[in-house]
Amino acid sequence: MNKEAPLSITERDFILNALREDVRLDGREADQLRPLKVSFGEEYGHVKVQLGRTSLIVRISAEVTKPHDDRPFDGLFTIAMELTAMGSPAWDNGRQGDLETYVTNVLDRVVRHSNALDTESLCILKGVSCWSIRADVHVTDYDGNLIDAACIGIMAGLQHFRRQDAVVKDGQVIVYGLDERVPVALNITHKPLSVTFHTFDEGKRVIIDATRKEEQASEADVVIGINNAGDVCFVSKFSGSPVDAMVFVDKTSVALEKVKEINAIIDKALQADLSKRAKNGMAEQSRAENDR
Amino acid sequence: MSSPLVLLPGDEVPSEYLPATNSAPLRLGPGLRLLTQPPSSSPSSSSPSHVLTATQAGILSTDNKRNAVSIFSSPNRRYIPTPNDLVIAQVHHSSQDYFHCMITPQTPHVVLGQLAFEGATKKTRPMLKQGDLVYARVLSVGLGAGAEIELTCVNPATGKAEPGGLGHLTGGMVFDISTGMAARLMRASSSSSDQQDGVAGLVVLDELGKKLEKAGGFEIAVGRNGKVWVDCSNGGDAAVKATVAIGRCLTTIDEHDLGPADQKKLVSRILREMKIDV
Repeated sequence: MNKEAPLSITERDFILNALREDVRLDGREADQLRPLKVSFGEEYGHVKVQLGRTSLIVRISAEVTKPHDDRPFDGLFTIAMELTAMGSPAWDNGRQGDLETYVTNVLDRVVRHSNALDTESLCILKGVSCWSIRADVHVTDYDGNLIDAACIGIMAGLQHFRRQDAVVKDGQVIVYGLDERVPVALNITHKPLSVTFHTFDEGKRVIIDATRKEEQASEADVVIGINNAGDVCFVSKFSGSPVDAMVFVDKTSVALEKVKEINAIIDKALQADLSKRAKNGMAEQSRAENDR
Repeated sequence: MSSPLVLLPGDEVPSEYLPATNSAPLRLGPGLRLLTQPPSSSPSSSSPSHVLTATQAGILSTDNKRNAVSIFSSPNRRYIPTPNDLVIAQVHHSSQDYFHCMITPQTPHVVLGQLAFEGATKKTRPMLKQGDLVYARVLSVGLGAGAEIELTCVNPATGKAEPGGLGHLTGGMVFDISTGMAARLMRASSSSSDQQDGVAGLVVLDELGKKLEKAGGFEIAVGRNGKVWVDCSNGGDAAVKATVAIGRCLTTIDEHDLGPADQKKLVSRILREMKIDV
């Protein structure tokens, strides 16, 4: 049994009828997010995201490797996401479902291909060594809208993460421990986030941040990746019934608004975490204007 | 009754906690099992040959009026079927003689006889489609691995849908709650009392009933498998909103484990938020 339990006819009909009256099951507006909570763990780059009942943990890690031969100046950045039975009983360990392929693909395109993390800054010594940054996403509970939650987690993690300092001396790469030198923040060029819309009733009703039941009842989904400045870096309409072109145009502005809202929440959480670390006597380490 | 008694699986139920009246047969709720002891070695001893043991951890609750005793388990999400439980099942597919239904996702299907409905004959059996919901009673749970669980919508002895309401659920909406909450709701809705704190610490149904009376009232069916079906089809224009409001009240109370006073506050707040006149 590794399939999501299908929705009953009653639930499907009710969700649709309720949306026709602009009512959602949890009393939200059509473009209102569920309560979002971003918190950080002890170590750098350890983020917990709670979006309604969807929750996940993102862990950013770094190691020194050899860059690809064709791109000697670029570091590496990978996003690893595996849907395990920990997140939902509908998922199997070690078997890749459609959802996993889809979500991984979207995350790759929104965060990695939009160059949110400046990979050139990860280069240590041309063609010899560079940093490899890895983002692991672990889903701990699933109630819809995995894409947006994972995106929030990864972006918050990248902003929170501090890698060890590395210098080149006489052709030798020296990596300093976290307690030897002030760890370095990653170079984030912009902060793109995805906003997923689900359409109902032949595209007439469009909602954001759908729960699992709403996702199952929907006709199609539209993902828009956009950053604070309003640059759209990703648009996808992967499957399902057709969606009117105007939906994309209209909803881009909604997405922009939401991305600003979410980024504000992330920034606030980051600030709170930094000031907490400063209180614990680590002020020197975490301040951005430190001399490197 | 003295302080609540907490039992662990395998614990015997002390006889002083059983209902005092001995005339009617004792009803056992979920989480309890009757075990027969081998006849004791000394034939003269008058010790009972049966013992009641708990199969789930929880608080023992005794109902003197109904001569029943049951275990009040923790509000976990996992449902283990026991005979006589009322459940809300979803039809997955049908075969020659049976409807194959899901009572919990990701578990083997349970069977519901095509003729196990009130007044059903070979010619007039209900035509249930995939995804239809039925309110049914667990008839039997087999023993051992691979055993099938059978549901029924009639009392096999009388041929009637007892208690009323068993059968196909049309319209309305289903909300997911914890099994503990389902058990509490079941108790609260089956025994109407005038206690201040309600039955099992739940006043939400009484409160909603009072407030939604003008809006046409509502129907509710609680499944022990953690599902509750709500229908306000008499509500006219506000039917959908009232249904959502009831669902939100129930799921929020379940999640935050609210006390009677908070439940009343929550009901008023949600009805106000959903703009339902009371």
